[in-house]
Amino acid sequence: MKKRVTGLVLTAAMGVSMLSGTTVFGADNELEFYHGYYHEESEWPAAKVMRDIYDEFAKAHADGPVKFKPIAVENRDEIVSAQVAGGSFPDLVDCGTAVPQAAISQGLVYDLKPYIDENNLQDAVGLNYTQNDVDGHIYSVHDQMESRGIWYNADVFEKAGIKIEDLKDWDAFGEAMEKVRGLDDGTYGYAAGQGSGFIVNAILASSEEGRAMIEAPLTEEAVNSEVFAEAFKTAATLDQANGSEHTTEDVGNLMDDFNKNGTAAVLFNGVWNASGIDAGLAEAIQPSLFPGNIAISSAGAGLTVANGMSEEKTELALEFIKYMTSEEVQAKIFTGVQANPCNTKVDLNKLAEESGDAITMKLAEACSMVNDAEIVVKDMNYSWGADVKSAIINALMECAVSGTDIDARFEQLQKELIALIA
Amino acid sequence: MKNKLSRRRKAFIMAFLAPTLIAFCVFYLYPILTVFLTSFCKWDYTNITNPEFFGWKEMWSNYDYIFNIYPYFWEALKNSAVWALLGVVVQIPIATLIALAFSRKVKGIKTIRNIYIIPNMISSAAMGMIFLQLYSPLYGVVNPVIQNFDKGFSENILLLKGPAFWAITGAYIFFTGTTTLMILGNVMAVPEEIREAAMLDGVSGIKQDWYITIPMIKGTLKTVSILAATSGFLLYNEVFFLTKGAAGTYSISYVIRELAITSPRTQFGRANAVAVIQILAGMLIIVAVNIIYSISFKKNRKA
Amino acid sequence: MNRKRKHTAVKSMSKGTKIFTYICLIWALLVALVPFVWLILSSFKSDPLARPGFMLPESICLDGYISTFKDLHVMRYFGNSLLISGVSVVISIVMISMSAYVVARMEFKGKGFINVLLYSTMFIPATALTYPVYNMINRMKLYDTRSALILIYSCSGIAVSFFVIKNYYTNIPKELEEAARIDGCGYMQTWAKVIFPIARPGIMTAAVLAFLNNWNEYYWASLVMIDRNKLTVPALLSTFTTSFRTNYNGLFSAMVIIILPPIILYCIFSKFFVEALSGGAVKG
Repeated sequence: MKKRVTGLVLTAAMGVSMLSGTTVFGADNELEFYHGYYHEESEWPAAKVMRDIYDEFAKAHADGPVKFKPIAVENRDEIVSAQVAGGSFPDLVDCGTAVPQAAISQGLVYDLKPYIDENNLQDAVGLNYTQNDVDGHIYSVHDQMESRGIWYNADVFEKAGIKIEDLKDWDAFGEAMEKVRGLDDGTYGYAAGQGSGFIVNAILASSEEGRAMIEAPLTEEAVNSEVFAEAFKTAATLDQANGSEHTTEDVGNLMDDFNKNGTAAVLFNGVWNASGIDAGLAEAIQPSLFPGNIAISSAGAGLTVANGMSEEKTELALEFIKYMTSEEVQAKIFTGVQANPCNTKVDLNKLAEESGDAITMKLAEACSMVNDAEIVVKDMNYSWGADVKSAIINALMECAVSGTDIDARFEQLQKELIALIA
Repeated sequence: MKNKLSRRRKAFIMAFLAPTLIAFCVFYLYPILTVFLTSFCKWDYTNITNPEFFGWKEMWSNYDYIFNIYPYFWEALKNSAVWALLGVVVQIPIATLIALAFSRKVKGIKTIRNIYIIPNMISSAAMGMIFLQLYSPLYGVVNPVIQNFDKGFSENILLLKGPAFWAITGAYIFFTGTTTLMILGNVMAVPEEIREAAMLDGVSGIKQDWYITIPMIKGTLKTVSILAATSGFLLYNEVFFLTKGAAGTYSISYVIRELAITSPRTQFGRANAVAVIQILAGMLIIVAVNIIYSISFKKNRKA
Repeated sequence: MNRKRKHTAVKSMSKGTKIFTYICLIWALLVALVPFVWLILSSFKSDPLARPGFMLPESICLDGYISTFKDLHVMRYFGNSLLISGVSVVISIVMISMSAYVVARMEFKGKGFINVLLYSTMFIPATALTYPVYNMINRMKLYDTRSALILIYSCSGIAVSFFVIKNYYTNIPKELEEAARIDGCGYMQTWAKVIFPIARPGIMTAAVLAFLNNWNEYYWASLVMIDRNKLTVPALLSTFTTSFRTNYNGLFSAMVIIILPPIILYCIFSKFFVEALSGGAVKG
């Protein structure tokens, strides 16, 4: 009996392993494009705007040799990594977090740099051209930037006697938050936790050494550096004064306090927050930069093309990238999706004025501030990785509990980080 | 004659086992072999399609990293083990008591029975989101309760070492609907004669449950204990939605995902080393529960 | 076979037992209702965070329910989930009730090995399963089909069902089988006509468990299904969360709607369920 069972098991195992080893591509006359805008229009109108942009491209190429087929998927990053683990890559995908390094090292991803250079798309792809350059290759182009500064409530600031131009450094910021707490009317400083990650990011950006650290993968040297310790401890001290009840790993949990209830003075969020502001606070809420004229702006992952597709398919995929970064589409992304477009030639202020829409004007204001900031750095998430970032944020969140020994927690964090990158 | 019978018996056994075994092979065999074999391999983003054996000398590299370097492993193992234990010593007694209560004839019992299973119909992801709101320091219901005892309390309990662990525990441990259902099914199957005989001896109510019913349903208790310990050991969604591992709340399942998915370096080899520990520890749990039950009920019988 | 187990009537209970029983029942109600009532209350609030906790809604806001029914094709999701969960429950439960019978009631070599194999499946992390299964689905050309999910659901969770059903088989007295055998029943007949009906409560429990798991399963569904017309109910929830904000009113309304079908099904089946429990159960 045992023999038979084992025999059965082995036969099946062989069957399974024989199935492995082939790559899966979409059909030859179809370019499949996975994107994450699956939401119903009633829930998120911007998703529909993006889908329309894609559909228009599909329509324009309906008669070509290869058809363009946009597909909205909920779990694109998982789907991509599942395919990469099997040695294949989707035809064209709008990657959410990052292009898997495993895909790049296997040569599964098409290098877009030659195409960008040949067609002079440097301005069109904007920040992608520098930030997504990996040893002279560009593997992804994101049509919209993840641009962040701070948003503040001018009414609260006025009440507390704070002037935004006084927030020159983080000490001044800390004093300002102290004044907000001093109002004692239930108003608090800022939504910490996920947001505090950006404080660390911005403090690092204020020094040459720190900027170099953020641009590269995390090293043991960086973890042990004075600059990093300073950044962490400053953020942790601010967080502790701010209180753990205002700390959350997902800033979305406290967003309404700022955008709707007006009970938080500052929110660390992207330019897109413009569209989330409640009508009642539209006057009060204003965009600004991090102390020290610093903005965090990341190209992120974005449109990624598979390597080794047929010539026609590759051509269409590249054509699509050109289309997505064209001024016409970028304008739509700005006004319709309310995001910061990557194309640097788009005149945001002009578009905003034309639209006459209050939200769009606020967005334009925020975007231009970020784009014109003295120092623009990327989100450390993209260079250090999500595991490192979540370790830092977890440590910050624990420090928010009053009485936590920040120095001790930092030492522990250093050990954790060094182990994580081992 | 006997030969023929035994051949038919064998054929029957094979036929009845075959579908499950095929399902096992299709679905689990390849992963399970991969997990064991690749836990001795260098397997990360650099060589995602072909894991490389470390060589005999360094075959324990992944384990060495997990045991001695990786910062969250021991914390995760401890947490998961405690959650497994709590499954057996908290969930099962609660589930049993409620099942016994449900077995009595009380007005409206059917309705209560149906209501009690509702929380188990809500997915653990949705439950995680619900409890995140309940625990919210600004908008939740837990902080106001604490403030009745400690006026100045204003911390986020999900960030306090210790309380955060119990907050996660509280988010799942009391929902024993399906476990209660299984126990109830067995309690109801205890024949009336036995109960009546016990009643004649003057043993009734709780006493009867303790001396008669519980020993009779020990098989089911053992089964649900194993299931409760297992689900406690594999806790993931609650950690993901409530703390993301902050304040000392990592779990084994969470660590595996961190290594394999969250880390940009896709450390499959190391994740699978943790997975091997998870499988072995899981088997250990099953053996332990079996031993506990055989010992405790042997004693019972003697007494 | 007709030894009906009656509920112990309240009258015959001692005072202590009575109090104890009521404490347990009150606890059970409390535990079950706290999250459920909170969820329902929140689903009626236009902004659940503005009136937190158990505060009553200012006015009853049905927007979430209306938009869920109107814009989100609830019925399509329900249909998909019922079909996929239902079919896979039937497949897996039939499969498991066969193998569990053999393992529970018959002696053969390799039995321990099979036990260990099946138990071990409970502890394989999803991350280790993902890639092999995903690639297998691709190669079988099942990607983006309902069959893919049915296949996955039928095979996953076999250990829990196996555990539960095997336990019920073990409780059935040997004499019954022997009696059936003497009556001239073959192995197959003995199982189908005698054992399977008696183990019905256990099999039903396993089916309920498996159904609930499949009903709420999101990970695999979002991985192997890309056509929204084929997606199952948990996908309803994700539409309320964008990268920028969460519509809590809609989210909580959708959560309530999602658990309605299982509750209704359970209430219908629980009648049959309790009858099966008290009517068919036999103990030696």
